[in-house]
Amino acid sequence: MVSARRRILVVEDDPETAAQLVDSLSTNGYRVDLAVDGDDGLSRGRSADYAVLAIDRMLPVLDGLSLIQCLREEGITTPALIISALGEIDERVRGLRAGGDDYLVKPFAFAELLARVEALARRSATVIKETLLRVGDLELDLVSRTANRGGREIELLPREFQVLEYLVRNQGQVVPRAMLLQHVWDLHFDPTTNVIDVYVGRVRKKIDDQQAYPLIHTVRGVGFCVRAPS
Amino acid sequence: MLLAKTLRSSTLRLALLAIAIFGATVIGLFSYVYGATASFVRSRADRAIAAEEAVLLRAYDNAGRAGLIAALEQRAAEQPGGQYLLDASGIRLAGNLAAWPPALVAANGWGTFTAERTPQADGSLVRATVTTLSDGSRLLVGQPIDDLDAFGRTIETALLLGIALIFVLAGVASVSVTRRTVGRIEAINATSRAIMQSGLGERIPMRGSRDEWDQLAANLNSMLDRIEELMAQVKQVTDNVAHDLRTPLGRMRGRLDKAYGAEGATEHERALIGDTLADLDGVLRMFSSLTRISQIEANGRSETGRPVDLAEIAREVTELFDAAAEDTGGRLAVTGDEAVRVAGDRDLLFDALANLVDNAIKHGRDGGHVTVAVSQREDGGEICVADDGPGIPVQQREQVFKRFYRLEGSRRTPGNGLGLSLVAAVVRLHGARIEMEDNAPGLKVRLRFPPAPAELHQP
Repeated sequence: MVSARRRILVVEDDPETAAQLVDSLSTNGYRVDLAVDGDDGLSRGRSADYAVLAIDRMLPVLDGLSLIQCLREEGITTPALIISALGEIDERVRGLRAGGDDYLVKPFAFAELLARVEALARRSATVIKETLLRVGDLELDLVSRTANRGGREIELLPREFQVLEYLVRNQGQVVPRAMLLQHVWDLHFDPTTNVIDVYVGRVRKKIDDQQAYPLIHTVRGVGFCVRAPS
Repeated sequence: MLLAKTLRSSTLRLALLAIAIFGATVIGLFSYVYGATASFVRSRADRAIAAEEAVLLRAYDNAGRAGLIAALEQRAAEQPGGQYLLDASGIRLAGNLAAWPPALVAANGWGTFTAERTPQADGSLVRATVTTLSDGSRLLVGQPIDDLDAFGRTIETALLLGIALIFVLAGVASVSVTRRTVGRIEAINATSRAIMQSGLGERIPMRGSRDEWDQLAANLNSMLDRIEELMAQVKQVTDNVAHDLRTPLGRMRGRLDKAYGAEGATEHERALIGDTLADLDGVLRMFSSLTRISQIEANGRSETGRPVDLAEIAREVTELFDAAAEDTGGRLAVTGDEAVRVAGDRDLLFDALANLVDNAIKHGRDGGHVTVAVSQREDGGEICVADDGPGIPVQQREQVFKRFYRLEGSRRTPGNGLGLSLVAAVVRLHGARIEMEDNAPGLKVRLRFPPAPAELHQP
């Protein structure tokens, strides 16, 4: 699922949070290096080739944003995920402006962290232009924008197709609600309502009703995952 | 604009009042000067005439009527312009006047008449005194006062010109002072408005004149500096609190997450942990809603001011909530204009509208209709979310914007009582207004946005 060679640099000063990060990332197949302050993070970030940098916003010595800015000024373009205990809105914008690629607010579900790290790691890999996506017996034709399951066409609204496409592209991965909102609706906030669940619920009804096995799964507290039974 | 403000200015009104008082004083003073000068000039003429008459009366006393006649003839010849007449019972005895002037036929004492045009005299204005002598004849002695009259008129013209000039100068001065005052105050007002709209970054421009206006501007600016500093400190504290709360909560969530996924946990344990996680997530969502509202209220203007199409947001929100409305058997529709341009932050407006639609679906009638209407008006954009549910009693309409406030009947529906607080914060951030109306039946929430600045209409 995840290439074992991919290395992640975690820059986090809180020992327990750092341990949890390292733990959950390494059990999911990443090699993880840990830096405990901004300076340490800067020198490690410079020296080695990482797939993703996961950087805490508030760090001793050199804060997270300055760290990313320094790296960017030196021409290091490794995707950076900013992990912050500060609120969204302004902070997110500031983080992305400083050169961060994604933003995650503490506390977070590890599934969400993994999903975001995975999305960033894939960004650096080459993207193959597919015209057909498949999961189980579901087929998405990206040219005609149609879906069929077991050869029977399923009627979807354009936006429903986009939701399904994003989930299928990330099959096997957990897609957090906020990421879905970000990629399908281009909105950058945690919805204060449960509307995404209801919306995905309707897509699921169209896809999974009266089928041999379900494809769209809800991951408690995080989001959704499309996978075929192995 | 500035002219209208100048005319409305209280400074101008004060100045006009001052001009009125000053003007009345000047007019009074000038009238006194004019009156005094005129009477002085006249009394000098009268003294000359009286002296002349005294000479003639002495001749009469010394030599009787014949002496007077001789003296009269002599003076009439010697004194150019002098006017003399001696007459007894309507018969002219001597003098250079042909007949008694009509204005003085019955007079005794001082008077004025216009002399007839003769080769000797040119019909000028004459001041004269008439005396009845002891033998019953009447003597008139007069002097032309044309030159005195001209003198009076010169003074009169000078005074009138002076008054006019004073009024014009005072008027110009007060308008220009007022304009200057209004201009400086307008600069302060413009800065205040900018601060209310876009945050504490603005400062009142200084002119470097070091006058009282510059001092006022400097004081206001340092006050703003201080406020900005305090706001930054408050933000710092809030950030620290957020950080210090979130870090332990994060660890807690991490442990629960790990326990949930751990092998060997029983179904029952997993359910317990799952419920705890769900509750913790609820707390965290509430926490992030609260910090978001505080942030929006504190400043957070950085992202507003981009062109946003309210109609498009309405269509997207409606489409997103269509499924939720279907769940309750209701209908959700969007109506109105194709494009409604305002300046704003798409994320926040989306979230706010999503909250309103969510409320309308949740608190409206089961199987009811929810309508989102957008319209472009001359005074800005408008978006209106209406349901046909039980509505909100008038006396509670203000309350629902308070944090954690929940209506009696809605305690069992999911929600944390922060949705409308967020809506209110977003609305305020955009300089918009929120109104609640009775939809008879149901609730109608109307958001009115100010018009987008002209420059945002350009692509």
